[in-house]
Amino acid sequence: MKLLANSTTPQIGENIGRHTLFWLLITNIAVLSPLFDKTTPWTLGICAICLLWRIGIYVGKVAKPPRFLVTSLAIGAVTTLALVSKQIGLLNALVNLLLLGYALKYIEMRNQRDVRVVVLAGYFIIALTFIDHQSLLSTMHLLVVTLINTCVLVTLYQDKHSFKHTAWLGGKFLLQSVPLALLLFLVLPRFAPLWSVPNMKEAQTGLSDNLAIGDIGKLTRSTELAFRAGLSNATPTNAELYWRALVMENYDGVTWRQDAEIKKLQKEALQFPPSRPSPALMINNPTFISSKPQNAAQDNSHSIRYQVIAEPSHQPWLFGLDVAYSQDDNVANLPDYRLLALRNVDQRMSYQVESWPKAKMDLMLSAQQRQINLELPSNSNPRTWALAAQFKMQHPEPKPRLSAMMRHFNSEPFFYTLTPPPLGPQQVDDFLFENKAGFCVHYAAAFIFMARASGLPARMVTGYQGGEFNPQAGYYSVYQYMAHAWTEVWLEGEGWVRFDPTAMVAPERIEQGFDAQFDPEQSYLQASPFSSLRFKSMPWLNELRQRFASIDYYWSVWVLGFNQDKQKQVLSGILGKVTNTKIALFMGLCIGLIVLYIAYSAGLLHFNTQGDPISNRYQLVCNRLARHGIKRNDSDGPNQFSQQIIEQYQHSAPKLCALVQTMTQSYVALKYQALPAEDYQRHLSEFKMAVKQLNRYLFNAKVRAKLNLA
Amino acid sequence: MKRLAVTILAPIWQRWLVRRLPPSPEIILSHRSIFILPSGFGLVWLSLILLLYLFGTNYQNNLVIGLSILLLSLFNTCILYSYKNLAGLHLRAMTPPEAYAGETLTFPVLISTHHSSHSIQLNYPHNRTYTVQNVNADEQQALVPFEYHQRGNMSPGRLKIESFYPLGLCRAWSHVDLAISHLVFAKPMEAPLQLEADNVQSEQDPLLLAGKHVAGIDEFKGLKPYVLGESLKQVAWKQWAQGRGMLSKEFQQPQGEPVWLRLRPDAKRLETQLSQLSWQVNKLTQLEQYFGLHLPMLMGEDILIAPAIGNNHRIACQKALALYPQAPSAVHYPHESSDSNKTDKATSKKRHIPISREQA
Repeated sequence: MKLLANSTTPQIGENIGRHTLFWLLITNIAVLSPLFDKTTPWTLGICAICLLWRIGIYVGKVAKPPRFLVTSLAIGAVTTLALVSKQIGLLNALVNLLLLGYALKYIEMRNQRDVRVVVLAGYFIIALTFIDHQSLLSTMHLLVVTLINTCVLVTLYQDKHSFKHTAWLGGKFLLQSVPLALLLFLVLPRFAPLWSVPNMKEAQTGLSDNLAIGDIGKLTRSTELAFRAGLSNATPTNAELYWRALVMENYDGVTWRQDAEIKKLQKEALQFPPSRPSPALMINNPTFISSKPQNAAQDNSHSIRYQVIAEPSHQPWLFGLDVAYSQDDNVANLPDYRLLALRNVDQRMSYQVESWPKAKMDLMLSAQQRQINLELPSNSNPRTWALAAQFKMQHPEPKPRLSAMMRHFNSEPFFYTLTPPPLGPQQVDDFLFENKAGFCVHYAAAFIFMARASGLPARMVTGYQGGEFNPQAGYYSVYQYMAHAWTEVWLEGEGWVRFDPTAMVAPERIEQGFDAQFDPEQSYLQASPFSSLRFKSMPWLNELRQRFASIDYYWSVWVLGFNQDKQKQVLSGILGKVTNTKIALFMGLCIGLIVLYIAYSAGLLHFNTQGDPISNRYQLVCNRLARHGIKRNDSDGPNQFSQQIIEQYQHSAPKLCALVQTMTQSYVALKYQALPAEDYQRHLSEFKMAVKQLNRYLFNAKVRAKLNLA
Repeated sequence: MKRLAVTILAPIWQRWLVRRLPPSPEIILSHRSIFILPSGFGLVWLSLILLLYLFGTNYQNNLVIGLSILLLSLFNTCILYSYKNLAGLHLRAMTPPEAYAGETLTFPVLISTHHSSHSIQLNYPHNRTYTVQNVNADEQQALVPFEYHQRGNMSPGRLKIESFYPLGLCRAWSHVDLAISHLVFAKPMEAPLQLEADNVQSEQDPLLLAGKHVAGIDEFKGLKPYVLGESLKQVAWKQWAQGRGMLSKEFQQPQGEPVWLRLRPDAKRLETQLSQLSWQVNKLTQLEQYFGLHLPMLMGEDILIAPAIGNNHRIACQKALALYPQAPSAVHYPHESSDSNKTDKATSKKRHIPISREQA
């Protein structure tokens, strides 16, 4: 039938309800507030105006803004953002743009379609927030924001305008979605980044790629976490924990810098990831092995596997013990035996490392490298030159010479301090002969200077030394105040060998950790009065702190750091050998169970729970009798039914009649009489007995009938 | 191309629907009758999920990936809830009120469910939607509108029951045929009352002897005691005011007086004529006037409705008008429907509608 095909069908309920508006108010605040540190003042202002205007509309004080006002505001905002985007970084500009769009759409919305757009944008903003907020607490906070955002949608299809009911419904939907989400999280494939994305422009923290004497001192005051490492098969002592991050070979008299060639490699790492052979190969491959006989297999077995969770530093440096190698997709292995993140660590990053402590670095040194690592600024530090010459004369062999240089720090009255007196232009001379006070960088710089001056290639290495062990979760926490600088000297047949002159001055610093050398109150806690590290002195509080820390660690390892490897690990833990068929079966089973569970809790499945067990039992017997041709009319009561059976089968089956009569009597008594407890029990057992016997009787009858037929 | 697809696929679809959901005045929706597909918003939602997954992948952020997966899972939950919202919905068609062509018809449907359902939208194709916010065990009446411009027997076709509950991600719907068939009266059109005296069949019908006075409206006959239930218009208020009690005026009219509404078929103006007759039938009933209806037929015997009075008589007359065959040229009318063709065949035979008198 064709009827006015062009007649309009106006949708009922396209207006936004007051309840929805109320939820939108909460959502707006909830979605925008976690991002306030990313907003420019302009964005913040416009968002605030939009929110206030919306409250005004909700209360009924102001009208909706005219469209041209919203449009002009939007154009103005976009223009200003485009102008400042250089300063605040592309991603930040995009975030601001999205927030502005969200706020303006929010004030401008007129129908339910607009509400849906706002909700979708809300989800996207929540996702953006996740980039910077990844701790367990902020995740829970953002899940609540997600719930609030979902509740807006719930209100669109609900006429019950109670806050509690809406929140309950939204929570129910989300909670019921969690099991499937967990399963999919476990099973869905993970990919490497598909294309490069803009990053947040943030102040860089942690180590820097150039180092002037005195720099690490600033770092040493920070209690911030640098990274955590979960060592699975080894428990190294504090003195073995040298986390290598940067190698600096160029020295101009003031500042240590990375070599230009390495810098170039780092810059192009994303396009052309640098690589080097795994230390395991180096050990096994005879061409790399020195003339000294060595048990390669033994060395190989000494590898340490661990997972590192680096905190966001907005720099690419990663950390590893000597000699580190990582097979992760987003980690590059640089030729100077360092690890480098292909992208800046803008959010918590987890990577897997394997280290061979006995492996040797660079058994051959190219002429160019030798030259770089011998270079010293001319006409500087003449007294140090003289001292180096003296060492060389006394100890012509490199090894004893280096030991003597190390001992020099021990025998002379050197003093380890985080607040050294200032140095003049001849830095190394001033330190070695005048002040004799300083921290790791001073000692390392002086040592390298002497080594180079005496003709041994040497270089500066920075990173972290030590780590606080968490016994509950079994990992090391490395804080910024553990930043350290040490040296590496190249020796024929041994490659680069680590020398830490600081250990000669302050052995406790290396052997027992930073806290053994310094009173925390005087050093790193000075700048951060509210750090939880203060609890170190109180045992039970310290345990609590460590407990929280281990929860956060597990969160980082199993949720934030859940990658293809972890996925494989978990799946093979559940399924044994992982095959596609197994995964498909597993998925099918789980999804089936989850769907059944949701359907059940949604009230879709009806199990026969109505009626009490006695009635059900009686009904079952009646059904069974009906199958034998003894049907009960709907209108007949139990007594009538019993009477009917007795009349009909009195002669042919007296036993049946007796049983039915007993059962019916008990049934009627149980159902319709107020019985004292013992009578009730008596009737109940009688009833059960009769039912049992009746069932057996009917079963026998069936068997007999079958036999007769046969 | 699109039209071709529609012409080929539509009948197949309709046939399949009839097999799967046979017409019945009472229907309980079950898995056989409920269809679920993502709504437009649901598709946008899915693309947001994909976007978030890519976003999370590119930033290697498991929490963003987790959020996208949670939203995907929420979609799955919504499918089940939207199914639940329609499953078990009990629909029962009621007799629709009388309706005239050109009016918006409303078909009352009683709707209930054993649990509770929300935001159920009911509509006929190309018609406005009636939304029931909350359905529960108590039967509620939904008045589903239907625009119809022709007189005659009609069936509104399949009723669409639709719901976007709970989050608008999925559209769950069903097309049920509640086996409604309804007679739409001709659209009334104001016209002068044209009663005709010429009684062509007075000899055949013994009830209509000429010269005999029968109760009517034209001449005053006298007063008689008022009987409860008689029209107040007939009460002799003057006498009542004089304190002579409730009396009612009796009128009579002689036979042979104009009592017939007659159609003089004119193919070009047929619909207008029928509309005017429809108005007159209503007006005469309202005036409590005695009349009969004579509809000459092109083929077969004429339709004659003996003069009478009252609502049943009015409805009988309106039915006859509504079912009067359309003019031959009406084949060219664009709005001709298969239903009215059927009624044409049915009415082409002689039909004598029995006289109905209103009981006093």
